[in-house]
Amino acid sequence: MRSAGRSWVLLAGFIVFYIIYLLFGGLVFSTIERPEEERLRHELASLKEDFLNRSCSSAAALDLLLLRVLQAHRSGVSVLQNTSQPSNWDLTSSMFYANTLVTTVGYGHSTPLSDLGKAFSIVYALLGVPFTMLVLTACVQKLLFPLVVGPVGLLHRYGLEPRAACALHLLLLLLLLVLCFFVAPAALFSWLEGTWSFLDGIYFCFISLCTIGLGDYVPALQPGQKNKPLYQVSVMVYLFLGLMVMFLLLRAVHKMADVHGLTRLLQLPRCEEASPEDDHHPIREPGDKSPTQPLQPASQTTYNTINKG
Amino acid sequence: MAAPDLLDPKSAANNLKPRLSFSANPVVLTPPDDDDDECETRISVMRWKTVSAIFFLVVLYLIIGATVFKALEQPHESSQKQAILEEKVKFLLLHSCVNSTELENLVKRVVSAVRAGVSPSANSLNQSSLWDLSSSFFFAGTVITTIGFGNISPHTEGGRIFCIIYALLGIPLFGFLLAGVGDQLGTIFGKGIAKVEKMIVKWQVSQTKIRVISTLIFILFGCLLFVALPAVIFKHIEGWSALESIYFVVITLTTIGFGDFVAGEKGGSESSSGASAENNIYLDYYKPVVWFWILVGLAYFAAVLSMIGDWFRVISKKTKEEVGEFRAHAAEWTANVSAEFKETRRRLSVDIYDKFQRATSIKRKLSSELGINATLSQEMTPGKRTLSVNLGDERECYPNLTLSLSPVPGALTRNGSLYLNGLSPDYAAERRDFPIGDNLK
Repeated sequence: MRSAGRSWVLLAGFIVFYIIYLLFGGLVFSTIERPEEERLRHELASLKEDFLNRSCSSAAALDLLLLRVLQAHRSGVSVLQNTSQPSNWDLTSSMFYANTLVTTVGYGHSTPLSDLGKAFSIVYALLGVPFTMLVLTACVQKLLFPLVVGPVGLLHRYGLEPRAACALHLLLLLLLLVLCFFVAPAALFSWLEGTWSFLDGIYFCFISLCTIGLGDYVPALQPGQKNKPLYQVSVMVYLFLGLMVMFLLLRAVHKMADVHGLTRLLQLPRCEEASPEDDHHPIREPGDKSPTQPLQPASQTTYNTINKG
Repeated sequence: MAAPDLLDPKSAANNLKPRLSFSANPVVLTPPDDDDDECETRISVMRWKTVSAIFFLVVLYLIIGATVFKALEQPHESSQKQAILEEKVKFLLLHSCVNSTELENLVKRVVSAVRAGVSPSANSLNQSSLWDLSSSFFFAGTVITTIGFGNISPHTEGGRIFCIIYALLGIPLFGFLLAGVGDQLGTIFGKGIAKVEKMIVKWQVSQTKIRVISTLIFILFGCLLFVALPAVIFKHIEGWSALESIYFVVITLTTIGFGDFVAGEKGGSESSSGASAENNIYLDYYKPVVWFWILVGLAYFAAVLSMIGDWFRVISKKTKEEVGEFRAHAAEWTANVSAEFKETRRRLSVDIYDKFQRATSIKRKLSSELGINATLSQEMTPGKRTLSVNLGDERECYPNLTLSLSPVPGALTRNGSLYLNGLSPDYAAERRDFPIGDNLK
């Protein structure tokens, strides 16, 4: 189908544009934040020097030092090693930051230090969050048919009634999800990060994929991490895929609630099957010889929800 | 109009009025006639009951979570507090010669203590706990709204496992609540807008302008109520700058939640020496109010973000349509051009055939005059040969276009004749005089 192919191309273009948006964000953050981080680091180093030069320091001075150290640590600058420490705002780290901003995970391991960075974060987030949600929803809609509606129909054809088919399919999907997106990555993370246990890995995966993002565990931050850029990029990909699968799961759960009559019971919005024909509408009917008319200005802006479910 | 159907076939019936609510159910904004009004009030009354029921359920859930977190985390926290105090005392005793390794160790310990939420300031003894009831409530709230500040996080294994299970159940629950609140907000706002629109309609302004004005009012009013006002309050109470307050508001309401700025945090951990009783009382009220603001503000932000998302969608559909139109134009143009081309070829071939006919007839005349027999006429005439060559070419080169553009289906195979494309049947009719078709039968 030509229009099906077209919609795939459009989706691919969307995704490419999304990646470009992330890169752009990473670049901007990097250029804004890096000098500020350097300044803070120098300040901290001089403070430390000062402290070490004194032979007998008072408690007040110690407290002051510790306060400053804590403030610096909260901004992601550590005073522990005075050897060259990889910056928190090089390109891939900034992209990682932009990714956490835009998927609303928000770890907080590195936050903008300058005023300009904060202002830019606001604007970037206000545009980026709906954009990401749109991209994720579009991907999920594409996946919904082969992964949810298709298998359920298949099970239905094998003689199971709709409720049982839905429930069985949901169970299988859940199992697959847990295995691929929690257990396997947790094992991988606990192996790559030396200090994480397996439970820590699962905790991290869960907190990230629910977009809670507490930030007590963040990958690729160990000192002396090998292949840090590659690692960070793969974590970003994992986040994106995981979020997509979570949305899919949510849709499947909603569908099941529909089938079992729960949504009607609780008077909640029903799961609208955004049918695949939605995208397969040909833009112009074949044989439509009417002269092309410009889009009416009054036909726009119905404020539909992004995720209809 | 074809356009609204393209935008969203499901809402084609409701496409005349903007829907401002969070859920998928439309909110009718025109003053409805009587039975519609009745239906709407009945539906909204039921929804109100459901919403309040869910709200109480969520509050109960949060309180349960808060008590469990407190029970799990507070013992751990007090032991950490003890340990860091001992460290500090030891350091102060032997600090006459401070070398860097000792300092580093201390810093490491300090940092890990801060992770657990303890600050090693001078009067850390009368510091309020980070895991008292109201703070635990706040933490539970940040978990189920998926904001996740991270300034407080569970450190015991039991705390973490409970956190996972808690979030698994709490996030969908909060999602339902948010949907309900958003609906209510949309209804309230819709009613207000309907009144305003009634006034504006008297001035005979176009539909688009009304919609644009209502969007603007929605954004402005909501910003004032949920962004500007809280930002001013935070600036005053927390002592942040204006930008930092707005930054905090936006980061919180989009559920990003970095945790570098958290409302109500300063009062808890670094309470100054003048920490009086009234401070604590205000703090106890402050945090739940902040949480309530987060709830309503989240619904507003969800509506705004979905509006922005719809604009993106509209833009992408518009682009899709314009690209589609452009492609259709291009297809028409290419079809026209190739039709012209074929016409020219046909004309040329017919001309050539004419000329050849004339040449053969002249030749025949000459040969008959010269007495050569006309055995040549028995073989396949060159006309036939040229025609078959033409037919073969055209069928290979332009199968798609002719099939899709000809209003007469099957014209390609009609007797294999030269009426290949139905675009100019008149021309073929014009040239009906030559008996090409007959020759091929």
